Amino acid sequence: MTSRAAGLVPSPDRFTSRLRSPAVAARVGLWLGITFGVCFLTGLLSHYAQQPSQPVPFPTSPSWGYRLTQGLHVVAGTAAVPLLLVKLWTVYPRLFERVGPFRPGPLLVTVLERLSIAVLVATAVFQLAIGLANSAQWYPWTFSFRATHYATSFVLIGALVVHIAVKLPVIRRALGADVDDESQDRESARSPRGTQGVLSRRGLLRTTWLAAGVAALAVAGQSVPGLRQVSVFGVRSGDGPQGIPINGSAAAAGVVPAVTSEAWRLSVSHGERSVELSRDDLLAMPQRTETLPIACVEGWSASGTWSGVRVRDLLALVDAPADSDLRVRSMQTDGPSYTVTTLQGNFAADDRTLLALGLDGETLALDHGYPCRIIAPNRPGVLQTKWVGSIEVLA
Amino acid sequence: MRAARAVLVGIGVVVAAYGFLLLWQRQRPDQLEAVATWWIAGVVLHDAVLAGAVLLVGALLVRRVPAAARTPVAVGAVVLGSVTLAAVPVLLAYGRRADNPTLLDRSYGWGWTALALLVVVAVVAATVVRVRRGRPESGPGPDPEA
Repeated sequence: MTSRAAGLVPSPDRFTSRLRSPAVAARVGLWLGITFGVCFLTGLLSHYAQQPSQPVPFPTSPSWGYRLTQGLHVVAGTAAVPLLLVKLWTVYPRLFERVGPFRPGPLLVTVLERLSIAVLVATAVFQLAIGLANSAQWYPWTFSFRATHYATSFVLIGALVVHIAVKLPVIRRALGADVDDESQDRESARSPRGTQGVLSRRGLLRTTWLAAGVAALAVAGQSVPGLRQVSVFGVRSGDGPQGIPINGSAAAAGVVPAVTSEAWRLSVSHGERSVELSRDDLLAMPQRTETLPIACVEGWSASGTWSGVRVRDLLALVDAPADSDLRVRSMQTDGPSYTVTTLQGNFAADDRTLLALGLDGETLALDHGYPCRIIAPNRPGVLQTKWVGSIEVLA
Repeated sequence: MRAARAVLVGIGVVVAAYGFLLLWQRQRPDQLEAVATWWIAGVVLHDAVLAGAVLLVGALLVRRVPAAARTPVAVGAVVLGSVTLAAVPVLLAYGRRADNPTLLDRSYGWGWTALALLVVVAVVAATVVRVRRGRPESGPGPDPEA
């Protein structure tokens, strides 16, 4: 490093705040780690729920399971923003630490540790940034969101585990001692050199919890109806046709002429056997009503009262076993993927799984999938296929 | 403890390597380049831009804000600043689409204004309480780093 560059880069000794201490970093880091853990597990769950082929069937109960876990995913990720910012602030001086004189062993360890920190910070910032942008359906990038967010979560959690392993003695000492303990602090941040600043360590921690709580509350209403009024940054207010928001409109999906045509028929097929049903035929079958949530992977959800025909009743028409895996095809010609989805046997067999014809006591709105849509318990919203054209029993 | 830490490092490296493999396998080269750009940009934006801005705000706080108000202002700034950053995607609302009025259907600017007003009121109230209790000296004198 040239002397000029060294003059521009501050030395860690220039940072004298008592708040930039392992005692604070460990406490904020603990909660940051918990929020990342929640995001990782709920994310894996959602990813698995979207696999067409599942070695262990994804359960159909509780019907609100997907709604809860994905709401939690976004709320935890949002609360992690203040936690991450404060965590990085407390350890910021370490960025300017010089690597010691050349000794092969420790230098390699130092470089590897720094590298793991760089990866951890890069992926943490990245996951929160693209996750929040995705929940607002803003995609200012060329990569695939889903594949990238999924892959990066493993890099992030891996780097986090390495970081925890490296810091374990420091973390244990910090969490075992009082928050004002200075035994692990840099000398420049320690009494008498260290400066008190405008906040105590407890004050900073309380401020951080407050900020994380406010961030969480500001979005939680997109999944918790009771909080709608206070969640000023929720991506959905909860309003929509028949009281439920939508993700894709009938116009954008290019289905309007096909699904409003007199000629529309639902085809249900099982090998050689098949039936063609009009909407009136479907309405003439036994009608059931179920209260089930639509829960989007982007975190928002809403509960609806759906009426229609049990999917297992449709399967009986073509002599198919109730627990058959099904291929459900939408009339959708345009728009994102998920035009063809797999409805696993355990979902097809569930009494609550409907081919819905109505919502909230009315005819299903076009934007909700008129003439009919799949609605099943505990299922990702993207798989609750709208504008269904055919249901095919898979061998 | 040493052995447990070594095992943890091993697990972490394997998990991260799996993530890198997934990234590598599922993206085109130009997409990988975009991911790398975003990773680096995130670190640079935080470490150089945001962290620098926070240092500046801290220095201003100590020099320009009366002692009794410093702590409430610092708390308010952390809360409002970090929550605002988390709300950037909805405040910009670039994801709005004409065909779907249920998406991003709140007045986010007004929501932010309400939150900011709430923070300002809380900061002023806390400052008044501190002055009335007669502890304006609880805020320390200027220091080199807030």
